[in-house]
Amino acid sequence: MHTTSENPVARVIWEGSIPIQFIWDPTETQGRILEPYFVEVPRCSYLSLITNQIRRDFAAKRLGFTSDEGEMWFDYQGIPLKWHYPIGLLFDIHVLQATSMNKETELPLPWRVTVHSQNFPGEKLIKNPTLKSCQDYFMSMIKEADYIRNGSTKKVMNMSKSDQTQLWEGLWSKSYDQFWGMNQRLVSNDGTMARNLPVRIYLPENCPVIQDLVSPLDEHGQPRTLRHILHAAVPDLFPLVVVDAGLSSPVASVLIHGVRPSLETDAIWAAQTMAYPDNFLHLVVVLE
Amino acid sequence: MSSSGTPLSESPPPTAIAQDPTEPTGPPASPSTVIANHKRKDTSKVIVRFRAIGNAPIMKQNVFKITASNKFMAVIQFLRKELNYQHSDPLFLYVNSAFSPAPDEIVNNLYKD
Repeated sequence: MHTTSENPVARVIWEGSIPIQFIWDPTETQGRILEPYFVEVPRCSYLSLITNQIRRDFAAKRLGFTSDEGEMWFDYQGIPLKWHYPIGLLFDIHVLQATSMNKETELPLPWRVTVHSQNFPGEKLIKNPTLKSCQDYFMSMIKEADYIRNGSTKKVMNMSKSDQTQLWEGLWSKSYDQFWGMNQRLVSNDGTMARNLPVRIYLPENCPVIQDLVSPLDEHGQPRTLRHILHAAVPDLFPLVVVDAGLSSPVASVLIHGVRPSLETDAIWAAQTMAYPDNFLHLVVVLE
Repeated sequence: MSSSGTPLSESPPPTAIAQDPTEPTGPPASPSTVIANHKRKDTSKVIVRFRAIGNAPIMKQNVFKITASNKFMAVIQFLRKELNYQHSDPLFLYVNSAFSPAPDEIVNNLYKD
């Protein structure tokens, strides 16, 4: 059996990236139009991890610019972007899911994201988007995932401090080997069957996130597929049996890392291979 | 805020968590109906028990009912109010002494964990 660290799918996901064009909010530059900042960012990364380089770039272009790291925030088409979500997940929700709703076909790339240093929307975003907070939320997600798999966070807590730090450092330094060298033990649950799989489902139009307990095996001990998981959460969008397959096309599909996987994909494999570094399998539902 | 928790002793007995309807027999609902249903605020409540660790003050009343569709933020704000904590007073909340969820996680999702 392949370990995930040798798994080409996990590596391709790790290397996935999105070109972003950062534009300063023109109302915050005293009328000056600043050159945008272009950068290609890993899908698995976080906005808080690139805040500093954006800040440096804008500071270089703008005399006397002082903005606190904890004050910077981003929006896309007026919607504040959650800094504690992976960038790829934000793109899938705010661009791919939204454009499929509007039946648009043209992909807006590079992704045009607006940067702000004032008026932090504290009612929409978690405050204090520093690198340190981002690391805390990231580790918290990994612990929650461990809790869902095992009913405790022992697997994470039993890791040494430096092993835990390697997860974050690996993400921060974009080192696949450093991250997966540690993370493999967690996602594979040391070779034991997880009680439940850490899965979150995102419906369109900013619906509350669905996070049900997802057992990897059904009542007959058979492995569940993505279709089973989605059917359990939203049965009307994901029928178990397609009765008139030739007559009607599916009403919905799902995106992971921007691609539509087959719904017959084994859920355990998906959770181990296609999870984000926070150890959650984030499923973005798109309506066809 | 409508989301504030209520002391258990002063409330009617806890209502059962809404069960998912059994397998539908009719034709599937349209996607727009599904989305609208998921957006509707679930008013069912879950029971939350606060347990003090470290230097946290011990509460006389520590079991509360909290609306399941609330964000975890509501739990944090509620506890701050109960404890009379100022904005600057540090307060850390862990679920089952295991992990500290983000303030925007849904209480019901954490309850299911």
